[in-house]
Amino acid sequence: MPGPQIRLDRYSVMTLEWPKDSDPLENWLRGQCEIAPSLMQEIAIVLKPSDEHRIEDIRHAVDTLDRLGVGLIGLTGDPRHRVAATTLGLSWLSSNTSGVQSELGPRQLLEEAAQETALVVDGPVRSGVQIYAKDRDLVVIGQVSEGAEIMADGHVHVYGRLRGRVAAGVAGYNGAEIFCVMFEPELVSIGGTYCGAEQISSNLWSARVRVRLDTNAQTLTFTSMG
Amino acid sequence: MAIVVTVTSGKGGVGKTTSSAAIAAGLAQAGNRTVVIDFDVGLRNLDLVMGVERRVVFDFVSVISGEANLNQALIQDKRLERLSILAASQTKDKDALTEDGVGQVIEQLSDMGFEYIVCDSPAGIERGATMALHFADHAVIVTNPEVSSVRDSDRILGILQSKSKRAEEGGRVNEHLLITRYDPVRVDQGEMLSKEDVCDILAVELIGVIPESKAVLKASNTGFPVILDAESDAGMAYSDAVARFLGEDRPLRFVTPKKQGLLSRILSGGD
Repeated sequence: MPGPQIRLDRYSVMTLEWPKDSDPLENWLRGQCEIAPSLMQEIAIVLKPSDEHRIEDIRHAVDTLDRLGVGLIGLTGDPRHRVAATTLGLSWLSSNTSGVQSELGPRQLLEEAAQETALVVDGPVRSGVQIYAKDRDLVVIGQVSEGAEIMADGHVHVYGRLRGRVAAGVAGYNGAEIFCVMFEPELVSIGGTYCGAEQISSNLWSARVRVRLDTNAQTLTFTSMG
Repeated sequence: MAIVVTVTSGKGGVGKTTSSAAIAAGLAQAGNRTVVIDFDVGLRNLDLVMGVERRVVFDFVSVISGEANLNQALIQDKRLERLSILAASQTKDKDALTEDGVGQVIEQLSDMGFEYIVCDSPAGIERGATMALHFADHAVIVTNPEVSSVRDSDRILGILQSKSKRAEEGGRVNEHLLITRYDPVRVDQGEMLSKEDVCDILAVELIGVIPESKAVLKASNTGFPVILDAESDAGMAYSDAVARFLGEDRPLRFVTPKKQGLLSRILSGGD
């Protein structure tokens, strides 16, 4: 039996860069929380104040983050802020690594979330069964029966006859797509825009089909994959 | 351990009880010690189909509640010495079925040396049905060649692979499809789903196609499992299905329209 042990692990966390003289942090954060509420509240965030920020500013920012339910795990940035971290009871993460610069907007964050490993389900998915791949793609090997519902925050792939309901980009990622080798759905939805079976052109019925969202027209585009 | 075979469908009136009786009798005929349990508490019918309605003293619920022991409740079939019947209670409701209680009865039956336990599931997806399928090793899905029956079967297959004990332990229940009330003439005329359509929608291995037959109603009314009527088409089709369930390879019969001779056409008034 292996006992307890300490070992080095690496985790990805988001860094919130906070330049001096930017818009008030609170307004900006509220906006982000509206766009992607679950994302902002479920990811681990490290706050990186600018060199000019004083400890009072940082304390205020930490309170704001706390109030909005954002999961702050520590501070990083100029070594002078290390004192602030200790005072405020936060972890200090030294940023001596050159690190990958990440300047992602919420859309890209959603895209990145959708790039997590896909959920692979061996079918058939039966009538009355619901499957939701949160923050990732969904791959179904086998058929999806009438009355079943499959959903994903990312793309949906079905390697079989699709006869149930399908939704991609459920959390609002409009770039999500649906791929299917035998397309006979009851309902199709991407990023909240949906389309019933009757609105789907009959020459796509039972075909290999790819579905995308045309964000300008807010309509679904169906193309045959031959 | 005994092998638990649950006969289920989702939809009512498709032939679950007839099929349970036939399968249980067929397994016993093939030399296996078999017991068939009626899970339709409150709406029991298996006792009638098996012709033991006058011999029910104690039942499944009285065993679960401890009022009687299994030996008192089991009814030995008079035609097949290896077949026993455990009737449902007609006065209780399905809440009387508890997971622990059902599990204990199945374990005891197994300890008594039964090789097959056939569970006749009630219609629906509520307690009676979920209890009947919970302990299943095999499930026989009874379907009529008709869209609503097929959809309900699909639903019950989903429940089978999520709520059964095997599924909860990360395994799978073996699925078998039994199509009943099949009328090849109406299939040819496009009035009924074909067996290919049904298999295509459900994607389950087919173990038998039972033709629509007058012998079934007659058998139910006389309390004589139709499989024992070796002259009837339905009886032969059930025998084939049981043989396939036990691993034998048999071709499907009664799935194409009968060629009607001129004479019989005239005698039957041309219908």
